[in-house]
Order: sequence, then C-alpha cells, then structure tokens
Amino acid sequence: MNIDSSHILSITTFVYMAAAILYISYWVFKAKRLGIVATTVTVIGFLMQTFALGYRWYESYKLGYGHAPLSNLYESLVFFAWVTIAVYLVIEWRTKSRIIGAFATPFATFAIAYASFNPNVNSQIEPLVPALQSNWLLAHVITCFLGYASFAVACGLAIMYLIKSKSPNPDEGITGALPSLKMLDDLMHQTIIFGFLWLSIGIITGSIWANRAWGSYWSWDPKETWSLITWFIYATALHARFVKGWRGKRIAILSIIGFCSVIFTYFGVNYLLAGLHSYAAPQ
Amino acid sequence: MVTQDQNHSKSNPVIRFFSSVRLAIFLLITLAITSIIGTVLPQQEPLQFYERYGPNLFKIIKALHLYDTYHSWWYVTLLVLFAINLVVCTFKRLPITLRLYKRDNLDISLDKLKHMRILKQVILPKNISTEQVISEFKEAVGGSISEKPLKNGKIVLSEKGKWSYWGLYILHGSILVIFAGALVGILLGFKGSVTLLEGEATNHCIQDVTGKPIPLGFTIKCNKFTLSYYRNGTPKDYRSDLSIIDHGRVVIHKVLRVNHPITYKGITIYQASYQAIPRITIKIVASDGQQKILQVPAFERITWPQEHVALGIMRYLPDVHGVPAAQLWWADDSGQPPVAIWLLQGEQRELRRTNNIYRLSLLGVTERYMTGLEVKKDPGVWLVWIGCSLLLAGFLIVFWASHRRIWLWVGEENGKKIAILAGTANKNKLRFERDFETLSEKISYFSGGEK
Repeated sequence: MNIDSSHILSITTFVYMAAAILYISYWVFKAKRLGIVATTVTVIGFLMQTFALGYRWYESYKLGYGHAPLSNLYESLVFFAWVTIAVYLVIEWRTKSRIIGAFATPFATFAIAYASFNPNVNSQIEPLVPALQSNWLLAHVITCFLGYASFAVACGLAIMYLIKSKSPNPDEGITGALPSLKMLDDLMHQTIIFGFLWLSIGIITGSIWANRAWGSYWSWDPKETWSLITWFIYATALHARFVKGWRGKRIAILSIIGFCSVIFTYFGVNYLLAGLHSYAAPQ
Repeated sequence: MVTQDQNHSKSNPVIRFFSSVRLAIFLLITLAITSIIGTVLPQQEPLQFYERYGPNLFKIIKALHLYDTYHSWWYVTLLVLFAINLVVCTFKRLPITLRLYKRDNLDISLDKLKHMRILKQVILPKNISTEQVISEFKEAVGGSISEKPLKNGKIVLSEKGKWSYWGLYILHGSILVIFAGALVGILLGFKGSVTLLEGEATNHCIQDVTGKPIPLGFTIKCNKFTLSYYRNGTPKDYRSDLSIIDHGRVVIHKVLRVNHPITYKGITIYQASYQAIPRITIKIVASDGQQKILQVPAFERITWPQEHVALGIMRYLPDVHGVPAAQLWWADDSGQPPVAIWLLQGEQRELRRTNNIYRLSLLGVTERYMTGLEVKKDPGVWLVWIGCSLLLAGFLIVFWASHRRIWLWVGEENGKKIAILAGTANKNKLRFERDFETLSEKISYFSGGEK
C-alpha cells in the first residue's frame, strides 16, 4: 500500500486523541509525569502533522496541481487543527501551565478527526479552479485560521474560567488544579486580542482577493457576513472590557458565543447557506 | 482605564446619547444579530419569490426591505449611528488623551518615585559625580530626555512611545475611512457586465441592478476565448484574448484571466463567466426524395425554402453519453403545429408529418464561445485599502505600542549620595520589566544593586 499524506494525517488524529486524554488525565489525577508525557505526545503529533502537510504539498506538485494544502474543507480542517496545536504549544511554553491542554487539544482532535473520518469530507488532493488560483488564497486562509485557532483556545480558557468560578470551593480538588481566575482571565483576553488581529487581517486579505477575482471587495456573501458578525462579537468583548471594565465571567460567555459564531462561519455557512465560498463545502 | 462617561453632567443629552459606550455595545450587538437575517433569507430576489413565506412574513419582508437587508433604510441607519457614535465617542475622549499626552512627567515627587513598583536604589561612592551617572544613563536609555533639579539632586526622565495614545484615533478613524471609501464607490462608481461572442466588440456595459447601458469611453473586443481542463475534468483556466480600443487605436492587447483583471481609464475588467454557443450541422432526407445539409447556429431561424421548412435550436447539451445532443423546433406547411425533436449525434430520427417523412441526423457540432466579463469602476477602493491599513496599524499601536517612562534621580539624602532608577509602562508590563532589568545592568553602580 502506498502511504500518502492523508494516511499520516489519520494517524496524527490518534496521536492528538492520546494527547487530549493524557492532558485530561493529568488534570484530573494531578500526576506530573502524565503532563510531561502529554506534552511529548503533542509535540510528536505536531511534528508528524507538519511533515504530512509538507508532504501533501509535494504530492500536489507530483499530481501536476501544485498548490498549498489549504484548498478545501478537508485541508482547512486539518490546518485548523495544526494551528490550534501551535497556538496552544506557544501558550504552554510561555505560561508553563499544562492544564490548558486539557481544554485546547480536544478542539484540534475533534477537527482533524472530523476531517479524517467523516465519509462526507473528501480527502483527495484536488486541482484549484480558476478563482482559487491566487496567492491571496494562502494569505487569506492562513490568517483566518490563525484567528479561528486563537478563538478556539480562548473558548477553552473561557470554559476553564466558568468551571472554576462556578465551583463552590474553587481552590480545592480538580478545580484547584486549574490556573488562577486572574491568570485565566488575562490569558483569555490576550488570546482574544491575538485572534481578533488575525481575523481582521483574514477579512481584509479576503476582500483584497475578492476584489481581484470578482471585482468587489465586499458583497454581503453569507461567509463574509458571518465573519463580520464574529468580528462584531469580539469587538464587543474588547470594548466591554476596556471601557466598561467587564472581566471574567461576562468575557468568558462572550468568548464562548464568539467561538460558536466562528464555528457557524466555518461550518454552518458551508452546510446551510449558499454562497461564493462553496469550495469549502463537503461533497 | 479611564472611562468615557466621566463628565456626564456637563454635556447635553444628544451628545450624551451618542457618546455613550452603552450605545456602542448596543450597536455592535444589534448589527451582529440583524446581519444574520440576510445570510438566512435569500437576498435581492424578485419580490414574488418571497410570497412562498406566507402572507404575514411577506408583509414583514416587504416592509423592512428584508429582501435586500444590507441596503435597507434601517440597516443603513444602524451603520450611520455606528459611525456617529464612533466619532462622538472618540472626540469625547480627546481631552483625556491630550491630558495624557501633554502631562509633564518630569513633574514628580521623590516620594512618588520611591513608591514605584519597578525600582532600583543604590548608594553611590562619594567620588562619583552626578553628571557622570546621568550621562551614562542617557547613553543607555535612549528615548526623549528631559531633566531638572529636584530636592538635593537632579531628576532625568526618558520617555518613549508617547505618541501611542493616538493609536486609538487611528484605529477608530480607519473605520470611517473605510466607510468613506465605500460611499465614494457607491456614489461615483458602477458595476456592470458585458457578454461578447468571439470577434464581437462593445463600447458599453449593462449595469448590474438597473440593467441600463453605461458607456465605457472605449471599446472592448474579444478576439478569442479559450478554456482548459485538468485531467479529472475540473476547469483549469478561462482566457479571453481582449483588445482595448480607444479612438480607433488598440491600446491594450492582453489575455484576461480570473484573478488577473485588466484596468484601463479607471475601469477594471474581470473574467466572470463564459457560454459555449453551438452551431450544429444536420442532414435531412425527405421521403419525396429531397435532401439537404443545413448549418444551424444557436438563436437563429433557418429555412429550407424548397420544402417550406423552418427550424432552430431550442436546447443544446454538449455531452450526452459522450456525444452532443440538440433539441430542435420544426415548422412546415403540413398544417400540423410545430414540433420539438431531440437529435443525438450518430442516431437517425424520423419525423412523420402528413405530407412527408423526414429522416434527421446530427452530423456534428462546432462551438463558439461567448465570454462574460464583469466591468467595474470604483474610485473609492484605494480609500478602503488605506482604511484597512490604518485599521491594522491602529490595532498594533493600541495593543502593542506602549508609553514607557524611566526616571533617574541622583542626589544626596541623609548625607549619602544615592541614585534611584524607576520606571513604568502602560502596556506589555512583563516585557518592560525585562527591558528595565537590562537597562540597569548597562549602568555601572546599578548592576547587581539592591531592589
């Protein structure tokens, strides 16, 4: 059997699944060693996936298509998982806290598992139709997904915040193992700012591209509109925090609503609404 | 963080309404929610289309212009309110920003300096001159320097990034610039389409919404249209070989492709679509012994005068089980009504009429292409791009550029010569602490000094 990139990516799915289970066990059982193993497994999975993405790029050249692996639903889901893991690993490295992994790696695992195992998601490498043959494709998809992945992590942090703040004795047991509320709040805010910047760049590169391909930088296409809705939600969160001094729980709720909007922008629009972004739809 | 709602009592109620952050948050949330409508309900369809939603919903859709949500009076009103709110909020903050910007940061008491969170204090050897320490500090710290005597010594201040307080105005202003760009496009621009058969030329386009012809000021000619496919049948490339002719002279001769528009005299031309226009060859054998080979182009009525037959193409399918097929209409003088008949290449069909039996066969098809071009003039688009760049620049300044101040006081206290180094930054505090540490290492007498 010929091993191709999608096989390696299916194996990566199991590696990430293992990492997620390890992180959760580390959190629940407070076993330090499990945490180290979890990080190691995540890094291995990340390297494997990086290789697979590079290999897939090479494969597309061999097929005579020659494009970055960012062109359809399968590839974008896989890329989403990759960026989410990257953003998480940076946060782990900077905060030295592994527990966030229990809330971040499941998002990546879910995305790549859905891509690999849902029969409706086509994992073939496909050629690019004329509208997609643009360098803006790269800039647009990479920046959007940096934003989406940051928002996924911010959503994970928000869930952690709510679990901890709802607990009757937040400093004991499982909830005690979570980082302090102040740190969670702070990280959540930072990640939202980071994601918001990338979402803005993603929307802008998208409109530059649309202007070149269709002659209109904004046409209220459902995908465009939903990305704007997402942008409004996070803009609300930032203003509420800066000007009204909202902290913690309220921002956490906005962060979760924001991520639901991200998911709808990403999936809901493809499945339920028609528009210019139909390339990303399942087949 | 200073809130914007401080001087409530002073302002009039209109300004108070528009400057409230509550309105800003209300508008952001309302825009987010109402924007959903146009993504769920199909937009810009003919009004009859919406009757399927039932009489009650239809009334609502019609009254609130939900068939074109984003151009409806109430949505545009929300956007205008948003813009006004942005302007008023931002201007109302101006005094606070000016105060922060103009504040004399050198005007600080020694006591306050000693209570700073980031601080280093050392006792200097007696033989060190004040100027020596200060000049070493100036060299290491950079930024804009000011100094003055304070108590029994001298205080020096280095400031950097004071301008970052203006980032907020760049960020909020950028949205207004984008709005302005969009407005210029709406008022002074147009969007239309052009369809050209190979060999055809035109000097106007058909405006998208109104359907009115708009003169272009030059002529577009399509010399040739070609398309290519990948091996699996996915379209790979659409190319229109175009000539732009101005005052009888060919000024541009170029191949237009998707993602590679051509601009001339402020008008940009995009490859949008294409259509294959067939021209079929048929052979007709009549039972009275007459026969004829006819060329039938699409959209044309072809006659065979001897037999009093007229025919034309109704539908054309380029690929039915690997061969082309065409549906023809057929009229003759048999007294019977005209009929439609499908022809498949390679199969003979019989058409029985009262006066004759005709055997028809489709001999072949040649295709001509018609290219579909999108034509656009948008003099506001560069404003939109400037706005987008300002938005990102403003965002980076607001969140990452910090105003940092570092003070050095050298003087005598209780008979000892001491130096105090203190600093503060309004953003990126962790990084500032590291920078502060590096700075203190650079100045002798501070390196390794007590905190």
